[in-house]
Amino acid sequence: MEQSEIMGNVVKILTPWVKNEDALQSVSMETSILDDLKVNSARLVDVVIAFEDEFDIEIEDEDVDSVNSVGDAVTLISSKLD
Amino acid sequence: MSEAPVALVTGAATGIGAACAKRLASEGYRVGLHYRSSVEKAQKLLEELPGSFGLKADLTQEAEVDALIKAIKAGPGRVDVLVNNAGYNVNAPMLTMSLDQYDSVAAVARGTWYLSKMVLRRFMFRRGAGRIINISSVVGHTGNPGQVPYTMVKAGLDAFTKSLSQELTGKDILVNSVAPGFIATDMTEVLPDEIKETIVAKVPQGRMGTAEEVADVVAFLSTRASYINGTVIHVNGGMYGG
Repeated sequence: MEQSEIMGNVVKILTPWVKNEDALQSVSMETSILDDLKVNSARLVDVVIAFEDEFDIEIEDEDVDSVNSVGDAVTLISSKLD
Repeated sequence: MSEAPVALVTGAATGIGAACAKRLASEGYRVGLHYRSSVEKAQKLLEELPGSFGLKADLTQEAEVDALIKAIKAGPGRVDVLVNNAGYNVNAPMLTMSLDQYDSVAAVARGTWYLSKMVLRRFMFRRGAGRIINISSVVGHTGNPGQVPYTMVKAGLDAFTKSLSQELTGKDILVNSVAPGFIATDMTEVLPDEIKETIVAKVPQGRMGTAEEVADVVAFLSTRASYINGTVIHVNGGMYGG
């Protein structure tokens, strides 16, 4: 799967939890999920589970610790799909 | 994935755990019987309960909890109810107790925390529904001489119930404790009569409870209770009211 396709799906999954819709309009690989998109940290498990279901992968807790930006999520998912 | 709902009961081979397993099976659950050392009793119960499956694990070991979760994922693929019943006790006055003995009691609480986390993470969060029932104890509220670590762990389990229920907002995942009083089990069967009489004298109903009476409450919380959350239900014949 191409990175652009993964990114599209990641953004689609994040959208229901995004509190800052302006940041969503200009979302990029560098956009921070918590600081820019203002996703509630208590909802991150829901986001991770949605990633697992969408891409049919399993993400460990240690993996989640390394995800800050949209690009981090795309990179992690890409590595699981390899 | 199993069409029937699945209940995972820890420490299911004997006593209150076995009674919960039987009762939940009678309510239509496929029951995952966790056990550690009571292999023969677990095997007997597995034969008795159609659709049940065995899960041997030392809950104090992270790798064994991970393996248990993987086995459920590869098998029935769901956990609807988790009954955290497994516990461990060392009876001794605090001043004669070693740190290793303390650790052996406290380690099960750590394992319960991790198992609960993984059941939530791998099964209940995905469905947005579930029931966690922690089997605590009246002695976590009243204290009991010779059981300082055990009473700490049981009181902590009720605090775990309250805190976790407040974290799980917006989902139909309910967390409660059932705190039994003096319950007749294999462990109390071997006590001398005078000790049993001293125990019963503290109970207004004038008798020990049965494991089945505890399992009744667990079954209610598992199947019918929809607005009871973050609380402790005492099952003790009136010896302590909360």
